Amino acid sequence: MASVTIYTTDGCPFCAKAKSFLAEKGISYEEIEVRPESSDWKEMKEKAGSGSLPQILIGDEPVGGYSDLVHLEASGELSQKLGLAEKGEVAPLYDVIIIGGGPAGLSAAIYAARKVLKTLLVSRDIGGQVAWTYDVDNYMGFSQVETADLIAKFEEHVEKYNVEKLVGVEVKALKLTGKIKKVITNDGKQYLAKTVIIAAGKRPRPLNVPGEKELIGMGVTYCSTCDAPLFADLDVAVMGGGNSALEAVIDLMKVARKVYMVSLTPITGDEIIRDKVMSSPKVEIFTKYKILRIEGKSAVEGIEIESLETGEKKRLNVQGVIVEIGLLPNSELVMDTVETNRIGEIVVDSKCHTGVSGVFACGDVTDVPYKQIIVAAGEGAKAALSAYDYIIKQR
Amino acid sequence: MTPRFRLVKKGVIMNQEVKIYSTPACPYCKMAKEFLSKKGVPFTAYDVKSDKDALKEMKKISGGALRVPVILVCNEVMVGFDRSRLEQALSCLKQSSKIE
Repeated sequence: MASVTIYTTDGCPFCAKAKSFLAEKGISYEEIEVRPESSDWKEMKEKAGSGSLPQILIGDEPVGGYSDLVHLEASGELSQKLGLAEKGEVAPLYDVIIIGGGPAGLSAAIYAARKVLKTLLVSRDIGGQVAWTYDVDNYMGFSQVETADLIAKFEEHVEKYNVEKLVGVEVKALKLTGKIKKVITNDGKQYLAKTVIIAAGKRPRPLNVPGEKELIGMGVTYCSTCDAPLFADLDVAVMGGGNSALEAVIDLMKVARKVYMVSLTPITGDEIIRDKVMSSPKVEIFTKYKILRIEGKSAVEGIEIESLETGEKKRLNVQGVIVEIGLLPNSELVMDTVETNRIGEIVVDSKCHTGVSGVFACGDVTDVPYKQIIVAAGEGAKAALSAYDYIIKQR
Repeated sequence: MTPRFRLVKKGVIMNQEVKIYSTPACPYCKMAKEFLSKKGVPFTAYDVKSDKDALKEMKKISGGALRVPVILVCNEVMVGFDRSRLEQALSCLKQSSKIE
């Protein structure tokens, strides 16, 4: 698409009209504010051939002011000049694009749709981190529910409304600073919106050691709930020293031949579960050890660990490595744009505002405490209502 | 490519070709099964926690995978539940049976 430049000045009603016209069409533009008789204004007059405001340029070609723009659109020439073959190819402008399909994103979608906002939800999957546990006992209205059923309920609820969904798609880049936000997906497509809600959640923190990526699914796993039974009669190592790691050990104690627990720190976690692990003859614990590499060509064959205290190296013959060393917020794409805290969570205020106007965040990707389904769902609702407020005020 | 399933009557696929290997406590497995059900794709499910033969078979067809679900569609083996990939893989059924 050809670039669009608009020269404007303060207090000029047709400038404002021209800008909102472009915004409504999803056409991004660069705005240059000038004062009559200033050097910028003179430069504009030279390029545009007129000193009145606004002046709009498509590429280097002057097209005139607001009424000329409307005329071009009506005749279909605007699309041609922008380098879009068909009029219909101008990307639709969404009121809100929600990134993430966990409880926060799905709740935001429901609230946005109920405010009749044109809504697009982009997500790699539906369910988010909820899908990592088997059942849920603390969500209102469900004293006990399997997570897959709860997620299906959420999804059904969203389907009742007019929400466009792109599932199985990853966001590659985000341009959030302009009035029109751009969301670029890994298939190279670009989506435009007035507001963006980031509900991208968290993912398991990887070990970042050689062999890890290559052997995912071939012995390396991040979901012990799912995969523990597959390690029947095998030797496995659980990486981590917190509650999740302890629970993984408990799951594995029932089926595996030998379970090693390797932790950088002393074992923390609840005493009851810690005692259970420590008293098992199947379990051998290495604290203050770090993992150096995972070995194996097509399947895990062992790991090498090193003592933080003595530097002594050990090789453990294992066929499985279960990684339970915490979570990382999916905030990389916005690190440079919005404020994040020490652990990479997006900092939001009580209305889910990030520091960037028109950009909101909710759920586990944010610094809001207590990572719970019900909290995420509530935050999603707030983010959508804040997006609605923002859009109303822009009109 | 020869279709690897039989058409019993027009519009009905024999369920031989979609197999899903899962464990009981695996939410992704359940989500994958629900996804298939929603699409109206018949499948055979194996619980590899209790069925050791199925576990062996799962490891064999997936080159030793230690992750569930493992999903077999036509000739394609997928480790993990990836909606878009599974949806793509299912197109082999549509093509061969002319089911929309």
